Amino acid sequence: MSSIPATIDTLDTGRRSRLDARHDRIFRGVLRFCALLVLAALLGAALSTLWGGREILFGQGLHFLTSTAWNPVEDDYGALAPVFGTLVTSLVAIVLAVPVSFGVAMFLTEIAPNWLRAPASTAVELLAAIPSIIYGMWGLFVFVPFMARIEPALTDTLGRIPLLGKLFQGPPLGLGLLTAGIVLAVMILPFITSVMREVFLTVPTRLKESAYALGSTRWEVLWDIVLPYTRSAVIGGIILGLGRALGETMAVTFVLGNSYNITSSLLMPGTSISSSIANEFNEAVGLHRSALVALGFLLFVVTFIVLLIARLMLRQLARREGR
Amino acid sequence: MPATSLYARRRITNALAMGLGTAATVLGLFFLVWILWLTLLRGIGALRGSLFTRITAYGPDGGLANAIAGSLMMDLIALAICTPICVMAGMWLAEYARLTRLGTVIRFLNDILLSAPSIVLGLFVYMIIVLPMSDLTDGAVSFSGLAGGVALALIGLPVIVRTTDEMLQLVPATLREAALSLGVPQWKLTVQLLLRAASSGIVTGVLLALARLAGETAPLLFTAFGNNFMTAHPLDKMASVPVAIYQYTNDPDPALHAIAWAGALLITLFVLALSLLTRLFLSRKKANHG
Amino acid sequence: MDNRTAVIAAGAVTTMAAEAAHRTKIRVRDLHFHYHGFHALKGIGMDIPERQVTAIIGPSGCGKSTLLRVFNRIYAIYPGLEARGEILVDGVNVLDPAYSVNLLRSKVGMVFQKPVPFPMTIFENVAYGIRHHEKLSRADLAGRVEQALRSAALWDEVKDKLKQSALGLSGGQQQRLCIARAIALKPEVLLLDEPTSALDPIATGRVEQLIDELKRDYTIVIVTHNMQQAARVSDCTAFMYLGELVEFGATATLFTKPTKRQTEDYISGRFG
Repeated sequence: MSSIPATIDTLDTGRRSRLDARHDRIFRGVLRFCALLVLAALLGAALSTLWGGREILFGQGLHFLTSTAWNPVEDDYGALAPVFGTLVTSLVAIVLAVPVSFGVAMFLTEIAPNWLRAPASTAVELLAAIPSIIYGMWGLFVFVPFMARIEPALTDTLGRIPLLGKLFQGPPLGLGLLTAGIVLAVMILPFITSVMREVFLTVPTRLKESAYALGSTRWEVLWDIVLPYTRSAVIGGIILGLGRALGETMAVTFVLGNSYNITSSLLMPGTSISSSIANEFNEAVGLHRSALVALGFLLFVVTFIVLLIARLMLRQLARREGR
Repeated sequence: MPATSLYARRRITNALAMGLGTAATVLGLFFLVWILWLTLLRGIGALRGSLFTRITAYGPDGGLANAIAGSLMMDLIALAICTPICVMAGMWLAEYARLTRLGTVIRFLNDILLSAPSIVLGLFVYMIIVLPMSDLTDGAVSFSGLAGGVALALIGLPVIVRTTDEMLQLVPATLREAALSLGVPQWKLTVQLLLRAASSGIVTGVLLALARLAGETAPLLFTAFGNNFMTAHPLDKMASVPVAIYQYTNDPDPALHAIAWAGALLITLFVLALSLLTRLFLSRKKANHG
Repeated sequence: MDNRTAVIAAGAVTTMAAEAAHRTKIRVRDLHFHYHGFHALKGIGMDIPERQVTAIIGPSGCGKSTLLRVFNRIYAIYPGLEARGEILVDGVNVLDPAYSVNLLRSKVGMVFQKPVPFPMTIFENVAYGIRHHEKLSRADLAGRVEQALRSAALWDEVKDKLKQSALGLSGGQQQRLCIARAIALKPEVLLLDEPTSALDPIATGRVEQLIDELKRDYTIVIVTHNMQQAARVSDCTAFMYLGELVEFGATATLFTKPTKRQTEDYISGRFG
């Protein structure tokens, strides 16, 4: 055991370490290439839709962006109606989902008894995993008939309010912007809730405890301590939900009614970018197809910007935590 | 007295807020339970053996055999494509680019890709695979299972990249130092040690990605298209459960609606089971770490 | 107490003999270390004798671990860290960028504060480094693993479970496994970074005994925050404070007749 340790042959080691260095360089290059594919996917999605929609975007860009027409027979296309539908349904969804999500997140972090918190949170996150087409089916088969029954009541009550009433006029079809907005709201509810819950949990306990020690109520702690501490991340979570809603296809396609309208009433049928593409793409040719791809490009750009803002706001909290 | 009334007002505000929070939870859960319950009820009502044995060509008398097979096949193609690429990308982020600017940018864009509209990713694959294939083969090959798999891979990509990155960052720095202090090169360390140490987390990421892409419909509409017959050829048009549900839901025939519900139940159960499995996996891993 | 004095006295004798007999293995010349603008090592210079145990002591933050981590250039895996000066191992400057780190690290082994077993079997843990540096037949490899485990005084405890995961070993066993893993490469120098700080007293005693046995074959540099340990195991001791080498000499001398005020304050427990 006490033999003198033999040195490994230096020449041999020199050659091996040169080999090692080369392998390291190759390995690093391959990994880097794979990571750049993430960039390529995003860039490719933007460029390919830009290219596919070039006839419309470069040929008649201004007309496309400002026109409400959508006429495959005369090959006349305008993006306003689908853009309008996308924005309105997403807005309805956000307006409805945010307060409910906030309530649920508050329940999960502050109100619920301890034994309930973990399983209830898991349930919320599992619900976020349900495929969106299931929401669409539920919307079409169950929620549309339900809405058709209550829409007259909405027109009679909310419809009488001046100004706001304009939103609730029209035949009780069940289908329409409001229905699509509600289905979207239900779909993004678990998303926003789980972001808010996670964000609320990042508030240091000592901060909350010191407020409780001053005699604050739970609501005061939430409103005065937790919410200001997490404001940017909460807004980031909401915008993330908005991004989801804007890009969602299957939850809205069945229940929008697929009509190229811009109306003041939420009860009227409409269309959205994604549902127009889903409904028409496989039958479309020529300029029609180009118009749909151009819509896809618009959707991608808008959601990209929205998601960019959301991530930047979410990152602010992470920064403060020193992550 | 003003002190007490202020106190009373604060208590009432608090009680009101707590009550509203609980009500919101009940409302939110009501909708979600409603949807799940309905899927379960109508799905189970429509479950029958022919679902797994007959193909969609039989319409109302048929099943979803070809769609199930197609879905499985495309999910597999998607995972086969994106797992190695994403694991390597995640390795690069965690091991070589932890604090670099390019690393930060890619990590950030990956998070955006996570919520990018899936229908646009479908269009992307249509433009780069379906169209060129069709041009190359004079239309003999256009929509294909392969294109569908690639589109789904794009859905899974950000999930696996992110989990791999996170899981590798959890591996303690001492393991890297210990291996490097033996004179082992970085690539060996990464492939042989770090990957092994983070393997269960990476498997979780792959399962999570599978749960996401298995339920996707929009990216398959113009890539795999659909097929009423059974096929195992990746260059054929290929059926899938979500697209079959989409088509049947759009059809006026109630018999087809029933089959759609059965399909919806299958997907939902599959996705929920996968998500539950990954959670178990993750919580056990966390317990090990703590 | 008597016991320790005896150990120190014995150490003094060997050191005095050693000073004549032991040639310098590592020569440090004007070593400076910066990280992110912080000047962590300020002009360190010392001669570390061959086949002796050299302890580096000092209060936390004094740079003792940093110094150790320069010896095998492990610091270089993090960006923004910079070492200037010379470290001559057998007269060759290993800080020269042209000097291969892999060669350096096969010559200079390191054991860390916390035991870091790889997530594989006990056998594989020891064989892992050897496999990378040498192509050996199965039998030769098994022989080398056994030899390393024996040298690390672990063989008898693990010989029946070589195929089991190393994660199942106790903390002390894991640390001795890490030592075995390092000496399996037949290094010339062994760096120990507070190797017993995560171990219980019994396991600590065993590792210290092992260090004493290993110095027959290896030049050992040990960083420790535990002065008693330095006194027990080392032949030479370096005392560092605020990035500077305050005093370096035979352990017995440094602990009984320190020449510097700061050293005296530290070893008498007035700070640190």
